[in-house]
Amino acid sequence: MSLFRIFINQDDDDDDMATSKKVITREEWEKKLNAVKLRKQDMNTLVMNFLVTEGYVDAAAKFQRESGTKPEIDLATITDRMAVKKAVQNGHVEDAIEKVNDLNPEILDTNPELFFHLQQQRLIELIRQGKTEEALEFAQEELAPRGEENQAFLQELEKTVALLVFEDASNSPVKDLLDISHRLKTASEVNAAILTSQSHEKDPKLPSLLKMLIWAQNQLDEKAVYPHINDLSTGQLQDPPE
Amino acid sequence: MPTTTSSSSFSSAASSSGNRQADVFSRLASSDPEVKLKALREVKNQIIGNRTKKLSFLKLGAVPAIASALSDSECNSILVQSAAALGSFACGFEAGVQAVLDAGVFPRLLRLLTSSDEKVVDAGARSLRMIFQSNQAPKYDFLQEKNMEFLFSLLNSENENVSGLGASIIAHACGTTVEQQVLCEAGVLEKLVILLDGSLSQREACLESLATVLKNNPEAVSRFVGLEAGRYLSSVTELTKDRYPRTRLLSCLCLVVIYNTSPSYFLNMGTKSSLVTTLLELLNDPGQSGDEAALGLSSLIAEKEDLQKLAYEANAIKNIVDILKTGSELHPKRLQGLFLSLAELCSKLEDCRCSFLSLEMLDLLVNALRHNNADVRTAACICFRNAARSVKNLSAGRFTNDHVMLPLVQLLHDPSSSVQVAVLGALSNIVLDFSSPKSTFIEYGGIKQLIELSKSMDPNARCSALRALRNLMFLADNKRKELFYSEVKAQGFVSLISDPEPTVQEQGLALLRNLVDGCINSIEFVFDEEGLILDTVGRQLRKSPQAQMAIQGMYVLTNVASGTELHKEAVMQQLFPQPQAESNNFMLKFLQSHESQLRSATVWTIINLISPSSPGALDRHVKLREEGIIPQLKNMVNDSCLDVKVHKRS
Repeated sequence: MSLFRIFINQDDDDDDMATSKKVITREEWEKKLNAVKLRKQDMNTLVMNFLVTEGYVDAAAKFQRESGTKPEIDLATITDRMAVKKAVQNGHVEDAIEKVNDLNPEILDTNPELFFHLQQQRLIELIRQGKTEEALEFAQEELAPRGEENQAFLQELEKTVALLVFEDASNSPVKDLLDISHRLKTASEVNAAILTSQSHEKDPKLPSLLKMLIWAQNQLDEKAVYPHINDLSTGQLQDPPE
Repeated sequence: MPTTTSSSSFSSAASSSGNRQADVFSRLASSDPEVKLKALREVKNQIIGNRTKKLSFLKLGAVPAIASALSDSECNSILVQSAAALGSFACGFEAGVQAVLDAGVFPRLLRLLTSSDEKVVDAGARSLRMIFQSNQAPKYDFLQEKNMEFLFSLLNSENENVSGLGASIIAHACGTTVEQQVLCEAGVLEKLVILLDGSLSQREACLESLATVLKNNPEAVSRFVGLEAGRYLSSVTELTKDRYPRTRLLSCLCLVVIYNTSPSYFLNMGTKSSLVTTLLELLNDPGQSGDEAALGLSSLIAEKEDLQKLAYEANAIKNIVDILKTGSELHPKRLQGLFLSLAELCSKLEDCRCSFLSLEMLDLLVNALRHNNADVRTAACICFRNAARSVKNLSAGRFTNDHVMLPLVQLLHDPSSSVQVAVLGALSNIVLDFSSPKSTFIEYGGIKQLIELSKSMDPNARCSALRALRNLMFLADNKRKELFYSEVKAQGFVSLISDPEPTVQEQGLALLRNLVDGCINSIEFVFDEEGLILDTVGRQLRKSPQAQMAIQGMYVLTNVASGTELHKEAVMQQLFPQPQAESNNFMLKFLQSHESQLRSATVWTIINLISPSSPGALDRHVKLREEGIIPQLKNMVNDSCLDVKVHKRS
């Protein structure tokens, strides 16, 4: 009896021996996917959450009108926040600081690291504009005291001031600081701080969902062969390799 | 950083910035509201986040100027900007808080809360909250009805900043049990827990205020836990896993308060364990949360062996030592918390002590003894004291080398009395090391210093100094005893034994006991100056002293009675001085005491007095019988304390 069973099992094994994983065809897969129920509301909420967190005020307002989805925070506050973010992205740091302080004076008073990064960005902009003497004055007056208060700030400060040392700063070891991406980094930091102060989560949900998808696919890869989504932007199912 | 060639531009930079500050300051006083508003905004934007600027504007006198602008105006924008500026001065900057309060603008800020303009209300509420986070905040009288009404109006507000202010006032101003009671009875707990479901800042304000209201108040705790059948206790417990570190910290601190007040709500080992591990994780936070987590941890594990074990098993010692070894400047509060946590871990568990000492921590600890913050020095001493409880490490000479002893002895001169008491505790344990000659300590003038401290104004210091001396005299050789006695003399001893504080008297007598213990020559000390010390001991014993003192006193007599015939007779004189108008037979009372040690000590004295080997024993036996002592002894044949029984039998 048992011998018989073994033979049958062996037969199965022969089929899967090449992959030793379960194979799911596209047809089966699509069938399984269609069986999953989603609510339209949930998707709308996700979209609204994305628009609001990223700061797309007009889009959020229109989406609200068209879908009836309520934004989780007051859209007016988004406008303020976006003004700050934009100011930093355009290199108008002093303006950004004033706007943040109008929005909530506590943010910079209780976030020494953020404040330092904003001041650092201001210094970078002065250097970029070639205003060397003003930059040195600014570094001495505004940033040196921060460096004294905190060892980590001092190191970053020294790196920034090093920009002044090189004749061609854009080819120096510290050139990353001059890059636009540094502005974006600072802008992002300020955006997150404002969101936190408004008790809003600083990251939209959508990226997390996508990350979860990629992770889940990686996990499933160990056990099965099935159609993947390889291009997140299109969400197209691609047949499993033969 | 700046090169010498640019130094001239820096001096001009400094003066030009000074000029700019003076300029904007003068515009604050302008009568033109537009100019004033602009100046206010400028000052505000300059000082936010910038402690240096806060200080320099403060020195210029900006605070009173801004306070006037606030008081004299009805224009909303001016109110908002000036309130925000004042709030920033008060944010985490004690001198700023002082200046704002001195400017007398506090009542005006309160009035802003009733404005119709939401922005004005926000600005006012924020500034007030900054003020209330400081120790200098005005006392809030919770016992006055209108104050309670106002407080509740704040808590009920829809405005997040205003309700947060209400919670903040409670968190920082509620101090006494009576205030806690009054608040609870007015229903503050029910109001506060609503904030738990609110925004981030409301949750945090709520957790802080809960901790203050519940601290050491079992009734308040039981009221809190009773709300909706423990729902809120669960909420707070859940928050220990929150994404924001400050929320995790504040909820942990809240739970620590509840645990220390009413441990019965924490029967679940899992909760205790996760509380310990969460606090340990928070220790790594570089900011204020990490500082407070360290103190929170020490408070949690204090006196609780089971939690100390949990922490030890969760690798607490290694984690803390790693943080201490990072070499970066740690905030004094954090250092204090970390050392206190280590001290608690080492307080009862030998494994912890050995583990700690094996991690090459002594250098770090010795450095901490020289820290400029008194609390850090105190914590380091307590750490030493507890680590020195490890007999194994003590006798290995870990603590008695110059490297450790010198800084410790130097701390005997420390200006702070809490440091003195703590180092005395450490030294008391260290001098118990019998294997080393302890000459380093004596060389460094240790004995002299201890004697000085035994005369301190602070009774704790006196007591601790005597305890250290007592340990130093334990089994000490004659030379050391002579040295010590020569510094104190009979009169000195009399002062110690007659100290107004009973605990100091007790230590003094214990010291005396050790002094006269050992060889017969030592007994002579009490006969110096015509038996001054012995007379004093006798007098104290006749005064119906507390049990602990009596025990030590009787042991002194025991030791004296172990000497020569003359010594024994002298003891008899103290026990039964003549003439005695009424019977004040303290011996009898001691034999009937509840304290077994006292009965034991008294029996020892008697044994020494009537030991058959000495000539006058019989006479003394007769006298003792007359006074009813011997019959009492016969009754004690079956004394509950085995010690007494054995002595009696002999």
